[in-house]
Amino acid sequence: MDIDNDLKRDVAELINWETTLLDRREWDDWIDLFAEDAVYWVPTWVDEERTVTDPETQLNLMYFRNRGGIEDRVFRIESRDSYASLPLDRTVHIVSNILVAGVEGDEISATANCLVHSFGKHGAQTRASLYDFKLRKTEAGLKIILKKITLIDDKLEGPVDIYHL
Amino acid sequence: MDGSYKKSGVEALVDDRVDEGVFRVDRSVYTDQDIFEAEIERIFEKGWVYLCHESQVPEANCYFATDIGRHPVVVVRQKDDSLAAFINVCSHRGALLTSKKQGKAATLTCRFHGWSYSCDGRCVRIKNEKEGFGEDGFDRSQYDLNPIAKLANYRGFIFGSLVDDVDPIEDYLGAAATWIDLMVEQSPEGLEVVPGSSTYVIRGNWKMQLENSVDGYHVSTVHRVFASTVRNREERESLQGLKQTEGGRLVGIVPSGSYDLGNGHMSIWAQHTTPERRPIFKKKEWLEENLPAAHVEWILEKGRNLALFPNVMLMDNPSTQIRYVKPISADRAEVTVYCIAPVGEDAEARSARLRKFEDFYLTAGMATSDDMAALEDTMAGSFASQAQWSDFNRGLKTMTHGADEGAKAVGFDPVSSSESWENETLFFGFYRRWRDMMLASD
Repeated sequence: MDIDNDLKRDVAELINWETTLLDRREWDDWIDLFAEDAVYWVPTWVDEERTVTDPETQLNLMYFRNRGGIEDRVFRIESRDSYASLPLDRTVHIVSNILVAGVEGDEISATANCLVHSFGKHGAQTRASLYDFKLRKTEAGLKIILKKITLIDDKLEGPVDIYHL
Repeated sequence: MDGSYKKSGVEALVDDRVDEGVFRVDRSVYTDQDIFEAEIERIFEKGWVYLCHESQVPEANCYFATDIGRHPVVVVRQKDDSLAAFINVCSHRGALLTSKKQGKAATLTCRFHGWSYSCDGRCVRIKNEKEGFGEDGFDRSQYDLNPIAKLANYRGFIFGSLVDDVDPIEDYLGAAATWIDLMVEQSPEGLEVVPGSSTYVIRGNWKMQLENSVDGYHVSTVHRVFASTVRNREERESLQGLKQTEGGRLVGIVPSGSYDLGNGHMSIWAQHTTPERRPIFKKKEWLEENLPAAHVEWILEKGRNLALFPNVMLMDNPSTQIRYVKPISADRAEVTVYCIAPVGEDAEARSARLRKFEDFYLTAGMATSDDMAALEDTMAGSFASQAQWSDFNRGLKTMTHGADEGAKAVGFDPVSSSESWENETLFFGFYRRWRDMMLASD
């Protein structure tokens, strides 16, 4: 499929912007990139080689059916009352391999890789993820309607929150 | 290590003077690597430990790999549906036999030199046997796998021991058996582990994980933010949907209690303020038809956490969980969590159960991550030998010896009962069991 270069650029811009806002702690702007019905999904691994495939009936690290889930996380971080989130780990997201996989009507599928370096109570840590996005073209620009994060590491040290992913 | 930690030293670590109003534990029980090595030998390798749930080995030839102390162990479902467990190492040179944590295989075949074992542990194939061992009189059975000394299934929960000299499983569980019953009897078709699990490493001692799971006292501080987050969610959304939980229980304003169940087992409960929102509530009628009223009340209205000595926690509060702890070193442990649920549960209830699980538990959840932070800070502080005592006196003066009314109603007989889950008298039993096993003659 021939994918318009402008669209490719817009998708890359959005994905880069999304992780930048996490690293810069611009939580409200970050939430704004997600549509209200956006699904946020971090599967667990069923075994050494496969993740769960049905978030409804299987166990996930995180599975939010709408944007409320990430709003909860931001509320908790900003409350300064979460033991695991005070002090907050510093993070840097390195995103690469951004590819537009397909376009159907107003919906765009895209994939990317992400390496997150964090530093905090647990020292320096690096975790890697595969990103699967679904985006929607709206009057306000592209909005995220799915962010699926396949976290490669599954023996985890320290907390895992939205800014680590 | 040779387990040379002096037994005479152990007695001084548990300052057990309840008559004088004192019960405290020397924090070197968390930090001293020699004590840790002795624990592996004297506790994990000399008594019952939890291995897995029967649903994790559903059919013949299914296996589940775990550990007892330093011994890799594999639980295998037999052709006659019974279970067996073996030391999970090849008789030849000691390589691990299972390629994965969990799976199904016609034979357990060592990938090093290709020796194979049937699911009942018999050595059935040695690569190039005749060339290496001759044609005549070679007895391959000398290489059969080593079964572990004892294996027991209590209502689906599988326990093993490396030594013969252990109490029957019912005696070992004692009063804790009723707490398992309260989980199991919710489902006529049994329980199953839901696909998916999460493992996290705590920078803390394995005993701290068990303590945390039955520590009601921290809930109104550490989980205050969970409660406020949920309240904020409920205000933001309508009260519809599956993410509901009960904030009240987490700020310490509801009836609660705790028990020293004997043999090191401990439990806490707290009243659900809105039991009708729990997935199990859909089965209220069935429960009332099939179980004694006191059991129904305990199942529906009391959130329950059970810590079984020494390595597993069973939670029905707010979701249903198996939490398995594997000691790594004095200051590290690996914890694996599974959601356990009634077989045949309807899709909506199953989904609600899982969403509550993800909300609260897991290192990515909004409560367990805070628990871990508290636990790890406790570990960091425990190295300060000039501040050596951990204090467990809370509730000492008000504890009830034996069963309170709630325990009598449902029919279990604890060593002591406490009227609040904030009290810490349940830990007496844990550390007495710990001390007794550490002091036991070889």
